[in-house]
Amino acid sequence: MATPFIMPKFDMDQENATIVSWLKQEGDSVQQDEPVLTVETDKVAIEVTAPAAGRLAAIGFREGDVVPVTTVIAYILAEGEDVDGLPSPATPAKAPARHGAAPAAKRVTPVARRMAEDLGLDLGQMPGGSRRLTKADVESLRKSVPPPPGKAAATPAARRLARERAIDLREVSGSGPRGRIQSADVTRAADAPHAPPRRTGQEVQLTGMRRTIAERMQASFREAPHISLTVETDVTALEQARTRLNGRAGGEAGPGISLTATLVRLAACALERHPYLNASFQEDAIYLWTEINIGVATAVPDGLIVPVIHGANRLSVTEIARELQHLTEKAQSGRLDLADVHEGTFTISNLGMFGVHQFRAVINPPESAILAVGAVTRRPVAAKGGNQVVVRPIVTLTLSADHRVLDGVRAAAFLQELVRAIEAPDTLLE
Amino acid sequence: MTAGRSKARRAPVAASGNPPGELAGLEERAERLGLSREQLLEMFSSMCVIRRFERMADQLYAMGKVHGTMHLSAGQEAVAVGLGRAVRPDDYLVNHHRGHGHFIAKGADLARMMAEFLGKDTGYCRGRGGSMHIADFDANNLGANGIVGGGIPITVGVGLALQMLKRQQIVVGVFGDGAANEGVFHEAMNMVALWRLPVLFVCENNQYGMSMDVAKATAKLPIAQRADAYGMPGWCIDGNDLLLVYETMRRAAEHARSGSGPVLVETVTYRYFGHSKSDRNLYRTKDEIESWKQKDPLLLLREQLVRSGIASEAQAEALDQQAQSAIDQAVAFAEASPQPDLSSLTDFVYA
Amino acid sequence: MPEMSYAEALRSALREEMSRDPRVFLMGEDIGRYGGAFGVTFGLMDEFGPERVRETPISEATIVGAALGASLLGLRPVAEIMFMDFVLLTLDQLVNQAAKARFMFGGKASVPIVVRMAGGSGTGAAAQHSQSLESLLVHIPGLKVVMPSTPADAKGLLLSAIRDPNPVCFVEHKLLYKTQGLVREGDCTIPLGLADVKRDGKDATIVAGGIMVPRALAAAERLALEGIEVEVIDPRCLRPLDVDTIVRSVRKTGRLLVVHEACQTGGWAGEVIASVGSSEAFAYLDAPLRRLAGADIPIPYNRNLEQAAVPQQADIEREARAIVQARI
Repeated sequence: MATPFIMPKFDMDQENATIVSWLKQEGDSVQQDEPVLTVETDKVAIEVTAPAAGRLAAIGFREGDVVPVTTVIAYILAEGEDVDGLPSPATPAKAPARHGAAPAAKRVTPVARRMAEDLGLDLGQMPGGSRRLTKADVESLRKSVPPPPGKAAATPAARRLARERAIDLREVSGSGPRGRIQSADVTRAADAPHAPPRRTGQEVQLTGMRRTIAERMQASFREAPHISLTVETDVTALEQARTRLNGRAGGEAGPGISLTATLVRLAACALERHPYLNASFQEDAIYLWTEINIGVATAVPDGLIVPVIHGANRLSVTEIARELQHLTEKAQSGRLDLADVHEGTFTISNLGMFGVHQFRAVINPPESAILAVGAVTRRPVAAKGGNQVVVRPIVTLTLSADHRVLDGVRAAAFLQELVRAIEAPDTLLE
Repeated sequence: MTAGRSKARRAPVAASGNPPGELAGLEERAERLGLSREQLLEMFSSMCVIRRFERMADQLYAMGKVHGTMHLSAGQEAVAVGLGRAVRPDDYLVNHHRGHGHFIAKGADLARMMAEFLGKDTGYCRGRGGSMHIADFDANNLGANGIVGGGIPITVGVGLALQMLKRQQIVVGVFGDGAANEGVFHEAMNMVALWRLPVLFVCENNQYGMSMDVAKATAKLPIAQRADAYGMPGWCIDGNDLLLVYETMRRAAEHARSGSGPVLVETVTYRYFGHSKSDRNLYRTKDEIESWKQKDPLLLLREQLVRSGIASEAQAEALDQQAQSAIDQAVAFAEASPQPDLSSLTDFVYA
Repeated sequence: MPEMSYAEALRSALREEMSRDPRVFLMGEDIGRYGGAFGVTFGLMDEFGPERVRETPISEATIVGAALGASLLGLRPVAEIMFMDFVLLTLDQLVNQAAKARFMFGGKASVPIVVRMAGGSGTGAAAQHSQSLESLLVHIPGLKVVMPSTPADAKGLLLSAIRDPNPVCFVEHKLLYKTQGLVREGDCTIPLGLADVKRDGKDATIVAGGIMVPRALAAAERLALEGIEVEVIDPRCLRPLDVDTIVRSVRKTGRLLVVHEACQTGGWAGEVIASVGSSEAFAYLDAPLRRLAGADIPIPYNRNLEQAAVPQQADIEREARAIVQARI
């Protein structure tokens, strides 16, 4: 029986997904749970795996197509079956996507459902189709879930030695049964003479995320004419306010308020009066978003992700700091979900912790602007209203904006208000 | 019924009540046994204390103050007191689980008994034993036993030690009609007779094991008859006749103490309360219980005391009230006593 | 230093204690003229008379119960249970009574009895005369359990057991009675609760009890020829168990193998392994914690089956080798 391969739904509100690339072609044989294509939903790239083993056939959509979820996009044929007689893949799936019903839409045997619950596996992650998910499916899902990263099989003595000699067990090959690392293996690794340096390189495979970032940055750069404006701002008052707030917050549980958190707050307030900085260029119109959702660019092992602080203009700076901390932790442990990266309307990117004074960022589509923040450096400047030279903490801000949406004046006006807010922040931070 | 190789007088086998003629002769019997009026009253008093103690125990349980269960011997006071007064104070006692009466008859401190009952640290066993495991080693009371027949082999050992150490004491091993069917009863009877140990085995036949009628559990009654199979004397008597118990036990104790060997005395009696607190008395009728209450040893003795003029009704009543207040004081002490400290949880396991 | 058999060592201990302490006496079946089923008490009745070497009818429960009763009056009986299998007949008196008297009675009683018993297989005595039941006894609070493997240990531990104020189960192995060893003269008591490192080694720790001690030592000699040095520890006393000595050893070697004849399931090897696994030695383990034990079957009559049912020297070698070579 030919298995329909449907576009899966990964998110409650998700209507569509965009096909980013087919990893398998028409006629290729696929294994169950083998990745067949990558799709993108709201900035997150997801691999879709085959619901069954067999031959991939009747592929109905191309890269770049936006496909409604649960649409049949292809078929997996078993031995001896062929393409003729299959319904056209463009026929929409009988069961329309219902809000809040995503996992229930999948048909699952009671045993499989219980197993999945016991094992803590999310059946929503499994591509469905018209076939009921069985115990065998749950078993293979369990096996395909990789063990937590960084957990090598090693004896307690080996672990202790590895700790003591600062050896990463992941880099030690084990001589014990099933590759178990024995203490002798660790000793050997620790004592191994260092190889002389050679010109070698390492090939880094493009992961889904990396590929997606690559493609989107390219798209952004290509399609949105970037203008960039730079200002310097004196953060003395801002730092004082921040110190004061942290002193007060210091007694309570909670993270300290970072510079970025204050900028999120101040930018969000400024955006209330500068809607074109909080907008998106679509094919037929410019959309001025009502919500102000500020994304904060965050580095993760594989690259970059932008978790979003929703409604930043309605949150206090303390709340923003807490939310930012929370999202950063999730990002770094790979636990961000779609909701966390959804619906951003403006992005702030801060490379100040690396000492970078000033840089130009690429707009995060479909937003219309991005603010690049440099390091706080103490510089000699002319005192206000006079010729004296004073030393002040200065930050360089660079705004990149989509020239299709706004021009220099609007961008400049926003920056001017932002700088004013930074240099006299008190009311806005309370 | 034989009395074995001993030349001791054979005591009558009586299952229920005494011939009326005996009742009138309380003073005469006491005199013959060398019991003074004071001693008689003291024995009566002791029986009152036992009865009151058991009643109080029952009440405390009903009030939810007792953890676990208990096995009450109300109705069997004549055995406890008759035996207790017939042996010497320093004779050894190995008791069974229905043993409050024997303990009291041997001179237990009521307060420490009550305290043990309530699991307090001031109890005889520091709250570790409870009702079923009360002991007073200083008084040669080697403890009550929660295993039916469990004390019987121990009794053998005590008797053996008394013989090897050439002591003057005997050991009394008390058990019930149910225990007489345990394997160790037979091992022990054989051994004490074989080695002629100074052992007095007392089988309190209160007619029931837990719920099983002794006649349904025992192929041949009376149990005392078994002694003959082991070549030792065995006597079966009415356990509710205080003076008969006293006389018989005295004779048996002398037999054992003199080196003539062990004796088995079976005392036929009755318990009013159920086997334990969870016993709903489904196995016997109210009529049966009532009919035995007519032969209540306490009642019988009281009647005899009054009829023979040894005590007035008021005196008898006063003694009973004193018994009650002694119990009340014991309860007060017990309730005011502290619980064992949790930090002492693992104490007393090893010497 | 004289050499004597395990049985002679036990007899020597009994003789010395009975001479030294008039409270000590023996009880058991056929321990008089016959000298006990394994000859341990041979000659003692002639020396000490029938009162102190007291033969009993076949009444195991009352043998132990009487021992208990006598000990409550201060005597120090040493009861002999002919075959360990028969200790099951004594369990009420041993476990419900003797082990608990002190505790139940609030610390006032003391039960200084020794119950000697001969356990183990290898003589074709079949299922009901060949068991190793010490694991049952190890489980009971209030009891002490001793299991000597050499004549010196047998004498030293029996002296201590008799002097101990607690009920002590003294577990002897039938196949050890005729084994020879040097036994020091004079005071040679060994305290209860102290393990003995019978062989030093660095590659693995073998904890072995009873008959498994000589087998483990023999296996160790063979392994040494291959360059594998195992440390052999004889716990000697299973309750209380000297966990510290074992933990110290495993911390050093990183590998543990526990060997006993008793059936595997519920066997005391589990106790040793759990104690080591939850100790500081855990972080030094370089191999899984292993045990070799009797098969979970009653002991068969057939000689080959009887041998195959319990660990032999070759099994110990094989297991130790596999552990040290990280093949398991």
